Amino acid sequence: MEEKNLNEQESLELISQMIRNTKQRLEDGSGLPFLIWGYTTFFVSMAVYYFLNKTGNPQYNWLWFGIPVIGAMGMFVSQKTKQKHSKNYIDRVIANIWTVMGIAAFFTSFSAFFVRIPVLPMMILLMGIGTALTGLVIKFKPVIVSGFIGMASCVIPYIIHDNIQIVVFGFIFLIMMVIPGHILNYQRRRNHV
Amino acid sequence: MFKELNPLLHSELRLGIMSILISVEEADFVFIREKTGATAGNISVQIEKLSEAGYIEVNKGFLGKRTRTVCKMTQAGVAAFEDYVVALKSYLDVKQ
Repeated sequence: MEEKNLNEQESLELISQMIRNTKQRLEDGSGLPFLIWGYTTFFVSMAVYYFLNKTGNPQYNWLWFGIPVIGAMGMFVSQKTKQKHSKNYIDRVIANIWTVMGIAAFFTSFSAFFVRIPVLPMMILLMGIGTALTGLVIKFKPVIVSGFIGMASCVIPYIIHDNIQIVVFGFIFLIMMVIPGHILNYQRRRNHV
Repeated sequence: MFKELNPLLHSELRLGIMSILISVEEADFVFIREKTGATAGNISVQIEKLSEAGYIEVNKGFLGKRTRTVCKMTQAGVAAFEDYVVALKSYLDVKQ
C-alpha cells in the first residue's frame, strides 16, 4: 500500500478489504485465561481440602487467597509474553465483564470475614455468570453451556455439608472453565492450520 | 449533487489506516504495518498527517524495552470517515 490517490470504486473496495482483514474471528479468541483461572482454582481447592482434612486446622482456609495471587500472576505473564497488537470492541466488553466479576468476587470474600455467608456457591454463581456472558459475547457454544452449567451447579455446595464441598467446588471449575478453555484453544489451532 | 471527497482520506494508505482503526478500537504500529503491507517510514508519515488533522490519537509507550505506538480513532476521525463514505456513495450512486 502506498500514498496514491484512488478512484471511488477502489476506495470502497479498500475499505471493505481492510474491515474484512481486521475482523477478529471467534477462533482467534484464546482459551488461556479460562485455563489459568480454572486450573488455579481446581488445584488450590484440592490443596485446601487436603490440608483441612489432614489437620483440621481452619487456618488453612487462607490458602484460598492463593487463587487471586496465582491467577493474577499467570495472567500477567501470559499477557507479557503474548502481546495483542489490536483491541476491538469484543476485547473491551470481555475485559469489563471480568473486571466487574473480579470486584464482586473480592467483595464477596471480604464480606465473609464479617458475616457468615456461603462463599463457595456465590463464587460459582459469579464465575458462571462471567463465563456465560463471555460465551454469549464471543458466540461460542461450549463456553455458553459451561457457564450455565456452572450457574446451575451453585446449589450443589448447599446440598453437601462437609469439606467434600470444596472438592466439588474444584471440579465445578474444571467443568466450567478448564474444559471450554481447552475446546477454545483446540478450535483456534484447528482454524489456523 | 456530488459531495467533495476529503483529500486527506482519499489516499490509499491513509484510507487503509482509517479503515483498520474504524473496525478495531485500537491498533499498534506492528498491526497496521502487517495489515497494510506498507513500509514503516511511509506509515509513520501518514499517521502523523492523520494525527495532525485530529482524526487519530497516537500514544507512545513501552513494551519491555521496545517502544510501542498505539493508534486510536477520535470522534472527529469517525465523523470524517462517515462523511467520506457518504460522499463515496453519492459518486457510486449506491442506494443509501
